[in-house]
Amino acid sequence: MEALKNAFDFSDQPRLDLTIAAGVALFLLTFPLLPVSAFALATMIQFFIFSLYGMGWNTIGGYGGQVDLGKAQYVGIGAYTTTILLIRWDIPFWFSMPIGVVLAVTWSFIIGYPLFRLKGHYFAIATIATSLVLKDIFEVWEFVGAARGLEISPIEYTPPDFLRLIFKEDIYYYYVLFVFFLVGILYLNWFRKSRLGYQLRAIKDNEDVARSLGINVHWAKIKTYAIATAYVSVVGSFHACYIKAIEPEDTMSLDISILIALMAMLGGAGSLWGPIIGAGILIPLKSYLKEWLGGVAGLTGMDLILYAVIIMVISAKEPRGVWGIVERVRRRKQT
Amino acid sequence: MEILASSIVAGLLFGMVLALVALGLTIIFGVMDIINFAHGEFLMFGMYTALLTSQALGIDPLLTLPLAALVGFLLGIVCYRGFITYILRGPMIAQLLGTFGLMLLLRNIALLVFGSEDRAVHQGLLVDKSFEMGLGIIVPATKLAGAGLSVVAFIGVWLLMTKTRMGKALTATALNPQGARYMGISTEKMNALAWGIGGASVTVAGALIVNFWPVNPYVGLLFTMIAFAIVALGGFGSVPGAFAAALVVGLITEIPGFWDFLTYTLEMDWMYDVPMTSFKYMWIYVAYFIIMVVRPRGLFGWKH
Amino acid sequence: MALLEVDNLSKDFGGLRANDSISFRLAPGELLGLIGPNGAGKTTLFNCIAGKYPVTSGRIVFDGEDITALRAHEVARRGLARTFQVYTAAGDLTVRENVMVGCFMRTPSRRKAREQADAILTDLKLADTADLFVSELPVAAQKKVTMATALGTRPKLLLLDEVAAGLNPGEIEDIMASIRHINDQMGIAVILIEHVMELVMRTSERLIVLDSGRKIAEGLPEEIARNEQVIKAYLGERYVQEHGGEGM
Repeated sequence: MEALKNAFDFSDQPRLDLTIAAGVALFLLTFPLLPVSAFALATMIQFFIFSLYGMGWNTIGGYGGQVDLGKAQYVGIGAYTTTILLIRWDIPFWFSMPIGVVLAVTWSFIIGYPLFRLKGHYFAIATIATSLVLKDIFEVWEFVGAARGLEISPIEYTPPDFLRLIFKEDIYYYYVLFVFFLVGILYLNWFRKSRLGYQLRAIKDNEDVARSLGINVHWAKIKTYAIATAYVSVVGSFHACYIKAIEPEDTMSLDISILIALMAMLGGAGSLWGPIIGAGILIPLKSYLKEWLGGVAGLTGMDLILYAVIIMVISAKEPRGVWGIVERVRRRKQT
Repeated sequence: MEILASSIVAGLLFGMVLALVALGLTIIFGVMDIINFAHGEFLMFGMYTALLTSQALGIDPLLTLPLAALVGFLLGIVCYRGFITYILRGPMIAQLLGTFGLMLLLRNIALLVFGSEDRAVHQGLLVDKSFEMGLGIIVPATKLAGAGLSVVAFIGVWLLMTKTRMGKALTATALNPQGARYMGISTEKMNALAWGIGGASVTVAGALIVNFWPVNPYVGLLFTMIAFAIVALGGFGSVPGAFAAALVVGLITEIPGFWDFLTYTLEMDWMYDVPMTSFKYMWIYVAYFIIMVVRPRGLFGWKH
Repeated sequence: MALLEVDNLSKDFGGLRANDSISFRLAPGELLGLIGPNGAGKTTLFNCIAGKYPVTSGRIVFDGEDITALRAHEVARRGLARTFQVYTAAGDLTVRENVMVGCFMRTPSRRKAREQADAILTDLKLADTADLFVSELPVAAQKKVTMATALGTRPKLLLLDEVAAGLNPGEIEDIMASIRHINDQMGIAVILIEHVMELVMRTSERLIVLDSGRKIAEGLPEEIARNEQVIKAYLGERYVQEHGGEGM
């Protein structure tokens, strides 16, 4: 009960932030009802997906300060579990999604235990390595469709199918995801003020001090890693139902892992709104750059060049992200 | 037996080339404690440099090595002065993502300029020639030359680092930046130099690799990861360690060959069914992971 | 029965012996000062007791239990808290949140942790800084926050590593009052590493002196002040020869 109350308790946030958040929520709620293009709606769905990924990453990467660049493997586990269970045994999303979470979290414990003995660069590269190992296995494993991947054929179902999350119109996906999005925020809000959340921030600051306060640093990291994994896996499951065609190269590539970390970093790692701000800026930017420039003959790659330049400018000029700017302005005002 | 012997030879030869690939990364890491995601993209530019100049001038790709080195040196310095110096003081995540941005930038510039198709060297003095080494081992001449020249280049850079004034200053900066500063060595200059030398050695490696490996704008990531693994196994910042680790990684890439050997020797039916070739590079990551966990300082590490 | 019993504890770093067969006992509720020149091995001793370093040989018994092989967080959970010499407190948490991290060791409930943290802050006269970020406080207050955080774990024994270093006389008075409060009112045993002699001499009930990794003296503050070996260790052989052992 107390946990639930804490999840809804935003009282430590400035009133201005909450007003803006409420305004954005209202905008997101009504967005599909406005006369917007299908492309805009699809972009918004991507925005939700990546802000959720980013929120998950934010627990271990932002609050915990562990540079995890291997989240794509859990996108893969979630997406593949849901797809395989659906096309082979017709098990609907709401059952396959928790199974995916269990598998992903189990895997995260198995590799998390040795992984968190590493620090700094070693840790970051090791997370990439584990993710690539899983991707390589999936690329040859016939049971999961190998490199061709798997497809969910929507013809076999009668949309709108709320049990299997098979819809014809994106607006259904939009609202289902919107609910996930709100739950994700509430969970993150609970997490950051939970015992583990506070302990994690102490760990990020100084591991020796954290240990002196009775915190089992290794175990706390593994637990948080599992929480981050669960977020990613749930959204991975959803992602499979949404795009209906998955292959290792798309769902499990390093680019996805990096993009996930980038959301949180751009918005501000270790802050409640950071990943949402990050995804809100980066996803529309990426998708519209591609729309405008990606298809132009002779300009292939131009969109990604601009995107790369943006990443570089952020990491050089504002490594603490948009939220870093907000906090700096606020602290200056106070004094 | 032939399979085993040729796998070992092929692995060691490839390992020698990989040593040169990893050399630049380990120098850069040793001097300034930063991981460069764009390392493989430098290699890719080396490959394109060799391929395109040799085609344009109608000469053998191996003759373009000095040009490739120059391109790499300039590219390294431009990247350092124009970008890396600004992220050095930032948090680690900003460094990682920053160099990832650099990687995307270089990759997509290549895509824009060179297009996405695979290109390979079809003409040259050594192309399609091979050597019998006895024991039934046949080695393509391009790989043999690549390995030999890699070792020469590796030793050259190693001598440059240990015997010349400039190299010693660089090594001093790696060991103790503050002390080096007191001796009047400019850290900024040394960092730029490390990027120059690091860039040059990896583009030369690229120019060698392109003789037996087709190039496209996406080729870099695999080599970046291989270089990470080598540098980690050898101990971050250790040059001799990188060479030894590269040979190990070279042998790891030949695991499918060893597997075939075992399959034929043991005549186990199930072993035929394992698509080991598809896992060729996975073993590098597995090895990295296991060695890091068991021996976090790397196999031959000297710097923490 | 002793609360803490250190028995022949030695710690080597490579070839260097940082602690050499140190033995001492501490009674419940006692306030013990640990002094010695720089490099005497005081902080190393703390790190061994608190489980940060594994000991090379010897035995540590805390509250009737052998804690020699336990790791730092396990030692902390048994009621042995500590502060660190250089470290202040997590800069991006508020004062209250810092103390709450300590309190969370005993309770998973955020509400309880908050109540306990507020009580401790009031005790140490830090209540009015509760909502500030630690990085915004003066050094003296930051040091007190680390003490408050350690108290959040409700320890039986608190190891304080140079809490008064770099403070002015007024601030030292204040810290002394806090230490006495912790010891007298809360009944927590304290071991104090301190360079500020005035503070150790006036607050400690008993002193232990380390030099080059060995325990060279143990006794009441006034005894230690007259101990020739101690004076030698601090001021050097020549000073003693020139001035005779006339005390500190």
